[in-house]
Amino acid sequence: MASTDIYSEPAGLSRPIAWSAGLHGAFTVFVVLYAAFMPGFKGQGWGSGGGGDAMGATLVSAVPLPKPTTETASVLATESKGLAQSQPKAQEKEPDAIPIPDKNTKIKKPVSSKQAKAEPEPEESNRIPYGEGGQPSKLYSMSAGGATGAFEFPGGGGDFGSRYAWYVKVIQQKVQENWLKYEVDPRVAQANRVYLTFDVMRDGHPANVQVEQSSGVPSLDQSAVRALQRIDTFGPLPSDYSGSKISVEWWFDYNKK
Amino acid sequence: MKRFLLLFLPLFLTVAGTAQDWVRGGTGLGVEKVRLAASDFKSSTQDAKNADLLKTFDSTLWNDLETAGIFDMVSKSFYPLQNPGQPGDINFSAWGSPPPNASMLAFGNLGVAADKVTVQGWLYDVKNQASPQVLGKQYNDVATADAVRIIAHKFADEIIFRLGGGIAGIAESKIFFVSDRTGHKEIWSMDYDGANQQQVTHLGTISLSPRISPDGSRLAFSSATKSGWEILMYSFDLNRMVAFARFGGMNLSPSWSPEGKIAFSSSRNGYPNIFVVDGSGGNSKRLTNDQGPDVSPTWNRKTGSQIAFVSGRTGLPQIYTMEADGTNVQRVTDQGYAVSPNWSPNGQFLTFSWMRKYGPGEPGANDLYLMDIASKQWVQLTHDAGRNDFPCWSPDGRHIVFQSHRGGTDQIYSMLADGTNVKQLTTKGNNTQPNWSWK
Repeated sequence: MASTDIYSEPAGLSRPIAWSAGLHGAFTVFVVLYAAFMPGFKGQGWGSGGGGDAMGATLVSAVPLPKPTTETASVLATESKGLAQSQPKAQEKEPDAIPIPDKNTKIKKPVSSKQAKAEPEPEESNRIPYGEGGQPSKLYSMSAGGATGAFEFPGGGGDFGSRYAWYVKVIQQKVQENWLKYEVDPRVAQANRVYLTFDVMRDGHPANVQVEQSSGVPSLDQSAVRALQRIDTFGPLPSDYSGSKISVEWWFDYNKK
Repeated sequence: MKRFLLLFLPLFLTVAGTAQDWVRGGTGLGVEKVRLAASDFKSSTQDAKNADLLKTFDSTLWNDLETAGIFDMVSKSFYPLQNPGQPGDINFSAWGSPPPNASMLAFGNLGVAADKVTVQGWLYDVKNQASPQVLGKQYNDVATADAVRIIAHKFADEIIFRLGGGIAGIAESKIFFVSDRTGHKEIWSMDYDGANQQQVTHLGTISLSPRISPDGSRLAFSSATKSGWEILMYSFDLNRMVAFARFGGMNLSPSWSPEGKIAFSSSRNGYPNIFVVDGSGGNSKRLTNDQGPDVSPTWNRKTGSQIAFVSGRTGLPQIYTMEADGTNVQRVTDQGYAVSPNWSPNGQFLTFSWMRKYGPGEPGANDLYLMDIASKQWVQLTHDAGRNDFPCWSPDGRHIVFQSHRGGTDQIYSMLADGTNVKQLTTKGNNTQPNWSWK
């Protein structure tokens, strides 16, 4: 008797079905509205800022440090060694770029070989010899007044560089001491900067040494990595520094002259 | 609600942990030394002893910092008239701008009270007013000149450790050497700056080539005994000679490995060859097997896996390297007369004494050289200064102590590893064969 009761009451399901449909509908509406109005899901998440320790670039904005006025737009995109170089070159007229020729007009010859030879730039004037000061690049500025800290290293996230400028100076000294330039292929007179990233752990030893941007000269990249591998320690991080490590981005300029 | 928070606490922590500091910089143009000023310390109490102790302290500290080789010391004549004794006294702009134009300033105070001396010392980055303190230390000891000198050494070592990139300073290290000032060649010890010279052995015979163990507890040397030249051992824990194995034949020039093994030259089998024994004299192993003579072994102090030695197998003595098991023998010097190799603490360099042109009428003298092992490039460290021999590295790898005849007698000198800043450490009698402690 009881079993027949179950099958004989089909009308009993209509209410739950209505509830179900109603709730599904409400949820769908909620999802649509949420996607439409919540800013966080609007597809701009990639590389747009916040969190993430892979690139420190986004942290830079937090440091209100004065920047050199003639800073290059992108550190990575320039091959120049100093400020003088990073200024835009005077625009040369490109003979090739003149209006699309008609069928009947004569095509001008491409740039003569004479002009092309005059191209190489006088690199010499741009070099700043050791000990003569100047401002070779924005990252190596010994303070000549107005700077914070004995050795100012602007840039980088966090304030480690300004609070513990002396420690950054130590890193510079140690890297310099341990970089053996004779490991670089002797045929190379000059190369692009190679950028390394590494961490300095609490006890001062370097870890996670990686080539961030190659110079294009394998032996130079290798010599830079080996300089870091040769260093046992930079000395423990300052005792009043709370972090467990610092991340370092370091470039190496190679010039045989 | 509390539970909810606890659940998510780890998440917050990790987020906070990843927000680490970035540092950027580069290398390419060379580095200038840190410009360091060391102001005279102020006396903090009214005690008659203060003046003398301050004088000792100031001169010791200054000498340590100057000898360190990593600072550009700002001459005291440039300093502001007011010596700071406390952090509050510092006039940042006066120190940080010309004429002193210092980057770093070491300062502090010293005071004697009831025969106890208290020294407070600070190291400040004077161009960084926001967070200037690099170091702050306080020391207490009895009020004697010796104690104050040790305090100055310790404070200097702290400064050098911080600004020198984690390499411990050498101000507390010792140098062992052979001196004949008593009439016999005995082993002596002194502080790294030549102070506090003390006799170690009283054997009344001839003792040579002292070598201190890596932990500083034992001293091995070769000595003429009744049974011939043997390796002897002195213990600084017991302050007396201790027994060591005798091998027979002529046993010379011991050398400690970082793990405490000893390599030496022994002629027990007829020709002087290199042998290795463990720290107690057992487990003897022969490494070279030729008519030699092979002498003066020295271990790669970083790895302990290589040995450099002098061999006369091709005629004049030359320097060779081999693995610690005797394989892979390679000749390092190509000409002349090369002896007394010593391996740098970072394993990268050999320093040795070399007459590059040997023979009657040849130019040049016995000078010290430095060779980069990997590339075989060398530089000359001493020039036109008599016979120089027995170079030995300091534990920080920045200094070399050596023996020189430049003044008419053999004396011990130290210099920076680039050959500059030579200082004479001994004056009495003839002093030879210096050996710098490992720390």
